[in-house]
Amino acid sequence: MKKLITIVLGLGLMIGAASAVEVDVEADRKAFVKYFNNVFPNVEFADYTNGVYAIDEGSREQFEDILDGIPPYEENVEKGEAEFEKYGMGDCAEFKDLSTARINYPYFDEKSQQVVTLEGDIKKCYNQQTGKKMANMKGRITRISAYISNQAAGQKINVKVESEGAKKAYAKGKAFFYAKRGQFNMSCADCHVYNTGKKARADILSPALGHTTHVPMYRAKWAGMGTLHRRYGGCLKNMRAKPLFAQSEEYRNMELFHQAMSNGLEITDARYRK
Amino acid sequence: MRKVLLITLSVFALTTQADYLPASHNWNDGSVDPFVVAISAAQNDYSKALAAAMAWRDTGSMIDKAKDLHKAGKVDEATELAKKAHNQAVSSLAQIELAKSAGPRF
Repeated sequence: MKKLITIVLGLGLMIGAASAVEVDVEADRKAFVKYFNNVFPNVEFADYTNGVYAIDEGSREQFEDILDGIPPYEENVEKGEAEFEKYGMGDCAEFKDLSTARINYPYFDEKSQQVVTLEGDIKKCYNQQTGKKMANMKGRITRISAYISNQAAGQKINVKVESEGAKKAYAKGKAFFYAKRGQFNMSCADCHVYNTGKKARADILSPALGHTTHVPMYRAKWAGMGTLHRRYGGCLKNMRAKPLFAQSEEYRNMELFHQAMSNGLEITDARYRK
Repeated sequence: MRKVLLITLSVFALTTQADYLPASHNWNDGSVDPFVVAISAAQNDYSKALAAAMAWRDTGSMIDKAKDLHKAGKVDEATELAKKAHNQAVSSLAQIELAKSAGPRF
């Protein structure tokens, strides 16, 4: 009888261990950084915070010219500050200390078993304060998010993936990033990892490493500000895949993975991209 | 008893057959409307792709356009477009399977 119990318990433990998600974020990140190091041996790790401008000299000059003048995002950040104050968003627990707010995101909430993003909490807080809903991808949400993110400029991204639930979400986000989709049968990685630095029509493909350091951003193509999830939607459209809703579970999971790959890079307030 | 049995069996046979035929089935010549077959298949597979977040960008609008063409009486064009939409949906479902083993190549 004793033997039987031991065998059953042993089997139970083995099954439990087998069902645990095997995730090693640090190993993934190191492999990610190593890949870019091999492709661009002259680019310093810290410079990836500048995105495509880290790998293309011509674009870098234009970028610096724009930063030297009056960057088009500045007015939006100022408006974001005014809106943050107007709606009393500092009263929300998440935004009481703005010096640390940005680097807390994204995180895995154990209670809801969901990834929580900065924009998700901005929406929630705005709703608490005004009783109104906020659009997901552009306009007010980007201005307030840019203002909050600017308070963390110079701090390093430090996404934590520790619990079993967080690991599952991370694994799903990673799978989304590498899965081929759409009529062109392409993955996010096809452009922003394997073909980084090459041209897609007139544009140079940016490295995924560092993508999340400058979001939300002003894009010349949009002639306005947009969130990371707006960019995800644009990329999916380009692949001829149907974009998902901003703040959908799939995008939030991918953001967890995407931001974790940039752990150690500084958040920047230079929010301009082509 | 024999009568009851015969009636029951006949009703059963008719019901079973009816389940396999779409509402648009032409009882006069035994044919099935090819547009209905194509659009139903496209819609069915597109729904599965949507549920898996793997749908293609243009499939939904192709389905809508095919319906509009059919309404306008352009049956051949509508059927052709519905078939194309179905092909897209089938390909997107194939991507779901491949996505299960997606990962970095370095």
